[in-house]
Amino acid sequence: MSSETTPPVSKLFFAEAIARALHEAMSRDPRVIVLGQDVGRYGGPYREFSGLHAAFGGRRVRDTPVAEASMVGLGVGAAAAGLRPVVSITYMDFLLLGLDPLVNYGAKLRYKTGGQLGAPVVVKTTAGARGQGVAHSQCIESWLVGVPGLKVVAPSTPADAWGLMHAALQEDGPVVYVDHKRLFPTAGELARDAVPVPIGRAVVRRRGADVTIATHSYMCRVADSAADRLAALGVACEIVDLRTLAPLDVDTVCESAARTGALVTLEEGQLACGIGAEVAYRVREKTGTMRVARVGALPAPVSSNPVLEAASVPGPDEVVEAVRGLLRP
Amino acid sequence: MDALALLESMMLIRAFEEALMRRPDHGFQLLSSGEEAVAVGTCAALTSDDTLLSSGRSIGPALARGLEPGPVMAELLGRTAGPCRGRGGRGHLAQPSAGYFGAHAVVGGNLTIAAGVALAWQAEGRPGVVACIFGDGACGSGALHEAMNVAALWKLPLLLVCDNNGWSVSTPRAEALAPERLSDLAAPFRMPSATVDGMDVVAVRDAALALAAHVRSGAGPAFLECVSERFATHSTATRETRPQAEMAAILARCPIRRHAARLEAEGTLTEALRAGLERDVADTVADALRYAESAPFPDVADALRDVV
Repeated sequence: MSSETTPPVSKLFFAEAIARALHEAMSRDPRVIVLGQDVGRYGGPYREFSGLHAAFGGRRVRDTPVAEASMVGLGVGAAAAGLRPVVSITYMDFLLLGLDPLVNYGAKLRYKTGGQLGAPVVVKTTAGARGQGVAHSQCIESWLVGVPGLKVVAPSTPADAWGLMHAALQEDGPVVYVDHKRLFPTAGELARDAVPVPIGRAVVRRRGADVTIATHSYMCRVADSAADRLAALGVACEIVDLRTLAPLDVDTVCESAARTGALVTLEEGQLACGIGAEVAYRVREKTGTMRVARVGALPAPVSSNPVLEAASVPGPDEVVEAVRGLLRP
Repeated sequence: MDALALLESMMLIRAFEEALMRRPDHGFQLLSSGEEAVAVGTCAALTSDDTLLSSGRSIGPALARGLEPGPVMAELLGRTAGPCRGRGGRGHLAQPSAGYFGAHAVVGGNLTIAAGVALAWQAEGRPGVVACIFGDGACGSGALHEAMNVAALWKLPLLLVCDNNGWSVSTPRAEALAPERLSDLAAPFRMPSATVDGMDVVAVRDAALALAAHVRSGAGPAFLECVSERFATHSTATRETRPQAEMAAILARCPIRRHAARLEAEGTLTEALRAGLERDVADTVADALRYAESAPFPDVADALRDVV
């Protein structure tokens, strides 16, 4: 009767999924520490570190000065010396201050030392527009995917938030873990017997025969809204959640696009040299020909002004329009 | 480390670099010539429990730390017998197993890394000191302020050693940095600090020993400024901007000649002993070159090795 008392899944919010994964990892592995602004008693800007300070103390869950270069540098250096730090950079915009130790040191460490050292650090940061203006809203994950030695993940569900955090903490090198302001309050299910989500594996979230939408993070939800509307118009969308941006799982997108014959890429960041550009080109390389459209932010900063913010980042309208434009005979 | 060993270590660095620079295939190098006393004096204060990080001016620090000259030469010449398989080069030379965590060629770039290494050592309860040698150029970077702040706050076992050679490529220190003494930068963080003559290896060693003892005691970081002279151009890719007349006076301050003269005056160093040291050093360098030359370049297939 245990199945009645212990359901096979638990419901949890996105932020809880991160905290749960970290709690489990820290319980298992004394090398895992958390560094960052407001990660201690405060529990994280979105409560995603809730309970960790109480459980593991101030030496393993350390509030740092507001100094991203040293926060990332400390994490990368400590990783090189044997720890498995998680560095929290509140907003992805601020990660720019910490890119030197991450890109110039951490990502290249295994290579440049001929395998003597590695930097298994997880830099967790929050992207996305939610009313906070031009330097608190950016989705600049595409800037990172061309750095050899760096992996980039971007979960869209609580289960993946949990599973990708566990996977990131098992890597031998640096991983940037990008979450999203609008995902923290979303809820989902996590199987009791869940296992880490393999890095480099996309997943089909919705089946459909007419068009493939390849996207990630919060835009998976936007794609789903658009797909509901398109379904009412008789268009069946297949949604591929990339989950990992570096390395990209091109095969899963290709399989889907080969089935549907059309590919729309959707991202909240800029289109120029963006995730969509990379996905679309690589799918075309593999499939020969493919009808492709890209949807992304306007080439403008993301204002805290609600009218301008909504105008600059993509929503279901833009996706519907792109799909209909692509499928128009 | 005794006084003769300090001399020999400095002589090895000088001879090693001279031999390297005689080769047409020497590649992109930043030499430690003139700054040997900073590296040797600092390393004389370190034990096998400790580790060293440095700027990209790494030849002096690596040899002073005791890395085998053959593999170091191999690394500089791009051969697979180097500790980084020839892919790190001078800018990223590293051999953690030998107490040299490594160079990093971004100015100021190793400071927060060193603080992170020190954080890991503190967390693991390791006994050693993490020393980081950086140039005066790094003193203008925010990384130094950030590293000192957190190291002082968390009492990290970090010994900061500023090799102040007075130049950021062509910009003199007076035009780049406001503080009168660079060790003054440590004052607000209440860490012990000192400024010493970086051309005097004994002064560097003694100051480094005293400050390392403070760090070793668990009391937190310390800052040592060594005022030195760069004998060569900033790098093999940059032009000399100092007038000839000034260069003669700079070269006259040679830390090796100065230490040797002191030892001769004390009677510790005789003509015969000195000739013997010179022979030993020359043999070591010749062996290092032979070792490096006998090793292959990487296979092109190695370009993707150890990337992730």
